[in-house]
Amino acid sequence: MKKLRIAERPGWRSYAESVGFNFHTFDGEPYWDESAYYQFSLQQIEQDLEGPTEEIHQMALSLVPEILASEQLLQQLDVPAPYWDWIAASWQSQQPHLYGRLDLAYDGNGPAKLLELNYDTPTSLYETGFFQWVWLEDQLMRGKLPAGADQFNSLQDQLEHRFATLNLLQPVYFSCVADNIEDKGTVHYLMDIAMQAGIDARFLGLDQIGEINGQLVDTDNYPLQSLFKLYPWEFMLREDFGTHLKSSNTRYLEPAWKMLLSNKGILPLLWQKYPNHPNLLPAFFDTEPAATLGAGWVRKPLYSREGANIELVDLQGQRLQVDGPYNDSGFVRQAFHPLPKFGDSYTLIGSWLVGDSAAGIGIREDNSLITKDSSRFLPHIILD
Amino acid sequence: MNKAVKRSKKAALVLMVPATGFFLASCSTEEPVPSAVYKNAEECAAFYNPPESCKAEFAKAEALHQQVAPKYQTQAECEADFGAGNCPEPAAPVPGQQQASSGGFFMPMMMGFLAGQMLNKSSSAKQSVPTQPLYKSKDDLSTFRTATNQPVARQTGPVSVMPSRMQVAPGKMASRGGFGAQAQRRSDQQSASSGG
Repeated sequence: MKKLRIAERPGWRSYAESVGFNFHTFDGEPYWDESAYYQFSLQQIEQDLEGPTEEIHQMALSLVPEILASEQLLQQLDVPAPYWDWIAASWQSQQPHLYGRLDLAYDGNGPAKLLELNYDTPTSLYETGFFQWVWLEDQLMRGKLPAGADQFNSLQDQLEHRFATLNLLQPVYFSCVADNIEDKGTVHYLMDIAMQAGIDARFLGLDQIGEINGQLVDTDNYPLQSLFKLYPWEFMLREDFGTHLKSSNTRYLEPAWKMLLSNKGILPLLWQKYPNHPNLLPAFFDTEPAATLGAGWVRKPLYSREGANIELVDLQGQRLQVDGPYNDSGFVRQAFHPLPKFGDSYTLIGSWLVGDSAAGIGIREDNSLITKDSSRFLPHIILD
Repeated sequence: MNKAVKRSKKAALVLMVPATGFFLASCSTEEPVPSAVYKNAEECAAFYNPPESCKAEFAKAEALHQQVAPKYQTQAECEADFGAGNCPEPAAPVPGQQQASSGGFFMPMMMGFLAGQMLNKSSSAKQSVPTQPLYKSKDDLSTFRTATNQPVARQTGPVSVMPSRMQVAPGKMASRGGFGAQAQRRSDQQSASSGG
């Protein structure tokens, strides 16, 4: 694994905007960064990333029935009691899931370490599945990359196949907060793939979802039978329409059971069940979240997105904290494992799953040890 | 050497690229789907359909009638649209039972039903036509219409319909805006995506 500089494609920003990538630059800072790329060997990809991704996923799945069978664990994960039976039903009826992303610390040597699971509302999908893929094809065509260079990225193929086989009642509605440009880009990309899979895909702003006698409906009051929502389950359960989620005759993506695995409490549960697994870091429920964190620990809220509300003390005792809006749930503590540094940047690998299959990676860089929504996205290649 | 490629074979976009004729035209390229209109289960059976299927589809339409029929506060308002004598008194709620969704409103009588895709089970249409009740309005008593006032047919028997116009919708006001508050509250604190 190494980082190599490469010339940017002339005019890539206009191209990006022509294909719906309107968030390539965030608040004046580059988000998509093609001034460099990462190179992996096929062995690194297959043995250190692809294989462990599927193994960690199976380990996480194995926790679902155990959590559902334990009131104590459900309470510890801060899952509201009125929803326990409904979540259990979504698991027992084997409601299929679409996708997820593991965040891994990996420097090319030794086992990748799981930092967290994004199993409910993962984003950076479009950048990974489409824009990174086009970058590789473009640079190969221009002769700027060695012939035979490949990429660990079957994300779009796998998503299309998944949509074609999920057997969803149509139309399938896709919903998110409509004025969030990044979320909407991700949802549009998924709708695009769904349409290519032959699905009647329709956008519905989250605030446009209606309710009649406990059934969620669209703007014409037509029942939502299939709903993809890029909006956290833990929010939906606690909002005005939360109670209608249970009564509504609607198939959700992700299914309700997925909320158990997007909870950071899954990290200590994984460590309890698979102690010393090479891809796991020691993790514990933080019973004293107000206490000062010792050197070598990271504190994360059970529910958090985009690096918010994370507190970190590195091995030298230096403290780093990101404020944010996720301060109203419990916390976990995870052993600090530094992200590898390439040049001036810290590098994180997002490893995708579609269904239960590993489907590719996207790389994020930040100037700090905490990866945030503003962290740059860089493409990668496989070359032996 | 047959090395497996680790990337997608293609990564095309159809929706996110600039609008082309294909999507703008998609509404008008919708294929009509064969269905049928009958006054009741008996008429359906008289058209050489399996009597049991006819009864089942008619029952489905009757059940939907309570939910989708246009609803009025007064009989006069209802009859103004559907004609004198066509808007019966709402059934009194049975004590101890959950109130029917007609909820004391006046609704027009069901004049017939659209037999969905009963005759057409192998249809390759992407969007199906739901079985549903049909009505007739006062100013056009010869035309069967859906609860959302889409004309369907002027006589009973086989008919071709556009699936997108035949979707059923509850005939009642919906409440909206019950999702999104958490993201709003949190983005008031900082600019935050709901994804991650």
